[in-house]
Amino acid sequence: MKVLESSPHRYDKGIRILTLGKIDEIYDRLVENIDKGDHVLDIGCGTGMLSVRAINKGASVVGIDINPQMLEIASKRAEQLDYQAELELLEMGVAEMDGFEDSSFDKVMSSLCFSELPEYELEYTLIQTRRVLKEEGLFIIGDENKPRTLIKKILNFLIRFPLVLITYILTQTTTSALYNLDLKLQSSGFELISVRNNKLENFIEIIARKSKESLS
Amino acid sequence: MKKTFNWLSYFWINVVETLLRFFPFPAKTGMVKIGSPNRNSPVLLTCNFQLTVRRVKHALKDVDCYLLIANTKGINVWCAATGGHLNNHSVISVIKTSGIEKQVDHKKIVLPQLAAPGVESKVIKKKTSWKVLWGPVDIKDIKEFLDNNFTKSEKMHKVTFPLIERIEMAIMWAFPLSVFLSLIWIPFFIDELLALWVQVWAISLITFLLYPIFEPLLLKEKRQKKHAFFGWSKSLILIFVSSFALLGTVVYTIILNTNMFEPWLFARWCIFSFIVSIILVIDLTGTTPIFKSDTHGDKVFTIKVDSEKCEGTGICLSVCPRNCFEMDEEKSLAIFKREQDCVQCSACIVQCPFDAIQFEDQKGNIFTPETVRKFKLNLSGKRTIRENQS
Repeated sequence: MKVLESSPHRYDKGIRILTLGKIDEIYDRLVENIDKGDHVLDIGCGTGMLSVRAINKGASVVGIDINPQMLEIASKRAEQLDYQAELELLEMGVAEMDGFEDSSFDKVMSSLCFSELPEYELEYTLIQTRRVLKEEGLFIIGDENKPRTLIKKILNFLIRFPLVLITYILTQTTTSALYNLDLKLQSSGFELISVRNNKLENFIEIIARKSKESLS
Repeated sequence: MKKTFNWLSYFWINVVETLLRFFPFPAKTGMVKIGSPNRNSPVLLTCNFQLTVRRVKHALKDVDCYLLIANTKGINVWCAATGGHLNNHSVISVIKTSGIEKQVDHKKIVLPQLAAPGVESKVIKKKTSWKVLWGPVDIKDIKEFLDNNFTKSEKMHKVTFPLIERIEMAIMWAFPLSVFLSLIWIPFFIDELLALWVQVWAISLITFLLYPIFEPLLLKEKRQKKHAFFGWSKSLILIFVSSFALLGTVVYTIILNTNMFEPWLFARWCIFSFIVSIILVIDLTGTTPIFKSDTHGDKVFTIKVDSEKCEGTGICLSVCPRNCFEMDEEKSLAIFKREQDCVQCSACIVQCPFDAIQFEDQKGNIFTPETVRKFKLNLSGKRTIRENQS
């Protein structure tokens, strides 16, 4: 969602339009897995839409993002809701996740972030996520996805194409949707609890659990 | 085995990406081995603009080293650094996740000097313990830089605008403009197409070929907020360029067009030629590495050095691509001497270890190093910041 990131103050509104209003539903569904008292890491928290929802459920959240302008908005949002104590915002990328201690989070969540990482960064993030999660901790993901069947691939292309074109014209950048994230999670030591695709399979919601056996 | 350099693909990438220079072309990020590097070989970093990556590889073809390609969203080094895409995070990420730490025994990384507005050497050192060395501005000097044990000569510090780069910039404008005009022309005046391309390319080339004549004019005019966008110097240049365009128009519509004089043909040629001239001249300064862009007329800043804080280490002198600073050896102080040359890239502000340098706008508002580092060139443009300041 590059087109929105370049103008953070329009991000929330824009993303609602682009997902046809579905994003609120998606976020609500994702935080259903958050419990009271959880200590949660939000990777790529952006303007804090997901973080704030998790706090509503009684969690305390550490939000990380590399975009200082998005964080500025997140911090304003936390201020308005009087959530400063519950939301810690850090300007850092996934590569700096090695600064967090082992098993320090009950849950890790991430929305619309992994599709923007290069392959090796994503791999690194999955390893680090597994490390910072407590035993049986949950990993909650919502992101753009590449469909697997040909028909859906074509349909998705037709629908996405104008959007990608507009994004490219405005920002000269594009995002690559995730491919086979579920399999990557499994090979990184997570067991899948639920995978939910939308009809076109272009948005995926995954709940995974840190599996017990250690990776060799 | 050493891979032979692929000249054919190098040539094609250069052609295609020069024509479409306006658009980012992302290359694959990560670590690349050049030649047969060992555990002491130098480590260099660049952006992931395809054209840059190819040129860097070309310049390094006789060197054994590791090249890290950071994720800058397919944008070139200087633009990405000043625009916030080549930042601490992109450098930290590629150092930590590309696997380079397992390949070499040292922790020294050479960054292009023009990355200095975006990447803080202090932060990289703290977060990764890697030491940043600022390499030459132009990749052509990289071999000399490495051979001389990472020392830079005077010329390696400065950006210049030589003929070859001026031609590149002319093509960067000429190609998309002629494609765009062709789309309008094809349905109505398809037989004028060839002449139209010649005209657009001629206007673009003449603007940049004659740039050395225009430069003194642009330098002479003091940049002020009111006239930043179109002052007298640019008006003069526009008159010159459009007169040239008029000449082309007359040649085509009267001399080459063997029919009788057609007023409508002449008029539409005048119109598009003038529009092309305006587009080229309006931000001529921004297309050069010598001036700051005028598209943000409200952001005319000057550099202020706080003599209390300055400890005279001269880091500002070493990262300034326009050689604006001088050292007062007696007092051990950096002096901002050549304001006219400053492109407001902010490299000196970002790199100063003592936070002794800051921007000041024409109303006297101060932009602290903290703000500049955080928000780069957006610093006063974004609503979020304005709210913060009020």
